[in-house]
Amino acid sequence: MARIKLGLTTVLLLAGAQVAYAADDLQINGFLNVTGGVLDTASIQDAASTTGYDTTVGFDAQTLAGIQVAKKVNDNTSATVQLMSRGATGYTASAAWAYITYDLTDSSSFRFGRLRTPFFQYSDFIDVGYAYNWITPPGIVYRLDSMANITGVDFTQRFTAGIMDGAVQLYTGRFKDDFRLYGDTYMMELRSMAGVALSANAGDFGGRLSYHRGEFYIDLDPTGSRALDSLAGLSKLYDTANGIVANVPGSGVVPTNITADIIPQGHQSQFYEGTLFWDNGSTSLIAEFTALRHDSAILNDDNAWLVSGAQRIGDFTLHATYSETKDDLKSGTIGTAQELNTMTTNSTTLGVRYDYNSSTAFKVEATYVTREDSRDRQAVAGAAAANYTQALTNYQTPGHANYGNDTVLAGESVAFLTGVQNAIATPLATQSGTLFNIGMSIVF
Amino acid sequence: MKLLNAFSKMALGLTLLASAAAYADVVVIVSAKNANYGLEKNDVEQIFLGKTSTFPDGSKAVPIDQNEGSASRDTFNDKVLGKSASQLKAYWSRLIFTGKGTPPKESGNDAEVKALVADNPNLVGYVDSKVVDNSVKIVFKF
Repeated sequence: MARIKLGLTTVLLLAGAQVAYAADDLQINGFLNVTGGVLDTASIQDAASTTGYDTTVGFDAQTLAGIQVAKKVNDNTSATVQLMSRGATGYTASAAWAYITYDLTDSSSFRFGRLRTPFFQYSDFIDVGYAYNWITPPGIVYRLDSMANITGVDFTQRFTAGIMDGAVQLYTGRFKDDFRLYGDTYMMELRSMAGVALSANAGDFGGRLSYHRGEFYIDLDPTGSRALDSLAGLSKLYDTANGIVANVPGSGVVPTNITADIIPQGHQSQFYEGTLFWDNGSTSLIAEFTALRHDSAILNDDNAWLVSGAQRIGDFTLHATYSETKDDLKSGTIGTAQELNTMTTNSTTLGVRYDYNSSTAFKVEATYVTREDSRDRQAVAGAAAANYTQALTNYQTPGHANYGNDTVLAGESVAFLTGVQNAIATPLATQSGTLFNIGMSIVF
Repeated sequence: MKLLNAFSKMALGLTLLASAAAYADVVVIVSAKNANYGLEKNDVEQIFLGKTSTFPDGSKAVPIDQNEGSASRDTFNDKVLGKSASQLKAYWSRLIFTGKGTPPKESGNDAEVKALVADNPNLVGYVDSKVVDNSVKIVFKF
């Protein structure tokens, strides 16, 4: 407990202590978000936008502090380190950013080191709650936060033309880290990752387009118990059963190899994003569209988007947001297999931001989440898989009544394939509930 | 009724006075040694929001702010940049924490900013027109 507290306190003390010594070429800035939240029902506890919250008020999920120190080394080179302490990871301090900037010209620069992956409109400053109205951008759309940092290099060219201004950012690097999904942790890697982001503003209008790609690796274990492991295991069983049935003369069944498509081994993953916004200073509107496409089938392709409007009234800003994500399943047998692990989620957020002073904002939000998921399908498929695994064991166990009995095994194989069909025909389960949040954001 | 009329006229007069005081005549200045003769509102916005770092003639432009709470600063933010103090803070916090820009340096009051700008042809600032003398020139009025 003492250690847990140390992280946050150290980061804050460091901030306080060093501001006093800020010299011309040394810049210290920091931010702090304290956020509390509670769910009105446990059924949406692990939805994309409610991660870390439960039915008792909690403050750890989104509370964080950051301190940034930037030092100018010479006229065109500077070093920047941003230390972060997050409640979600036990308040231990870690470097979210650590990079060297080299200014090539007045309007272009290279950065080398640990950077933020520029997937979304708000990616760059997603931890700086003061910079936007929400407690955090909708998790349904901002769903790549486990890949938020990349180690590599980027190049930015800024431009102005009349009332228009903007920037093109190119980056490349490698990502390797833990990746959490439905409460399980995987080791994930994206090699040869690269992307481009173009942003532009003209008067009250602005927009952003970005594209990202990488080669995807993940530590799947078909005999493991994590959700994706089970799926990989199931695909192996499916191929086995199909092979056995196909061997029965006159079955008309074609052997499958869906396992090869399910388990990623450097398969390409791609991400597309587009944003449009309008902001006249008191009224603002934003729409952001995103699409994720995997060549492997272990993670489903999906589309997710948000629309949001905000109205400023004095020191208060009222805002409303709708966001939605839908899986885009592949065709054929693979797409059918993906039906076992599909999900649709939408959320509606209403909130108020109050600017207490020019560095402190208070926020209150309610987010209504509705989710349809395939947990009932997985239960049916899991039972069929357990039966079939037992049947395969029996077939291979000398002395068992069904040892080496091809007829029984073929029958069990057909039963398993039927079980999978039944699982897919099982209706999706729907849950809904509301997340309530209060928060305070500070920058200094 | 007459009394009420007189009273409301007085109130109107006071309101006008008050707004005149709140909106002192603030102007954008550069050094007399600077080669630029005038800036458009858009130029001023782009320089003060960190979107460009050059004057229209291509020379380096470095904007400086007055200290927080100064009347000239509030007027400038409101009438030229069209943003409240907290909106500006939010704008800069999007850039500071990504290494994409830093806000203009806080450099004192009207007299101090005028003195700094007079000495350095790369600086651009805003001051109450009362402190303007021939060491600086006005490049934008609003």
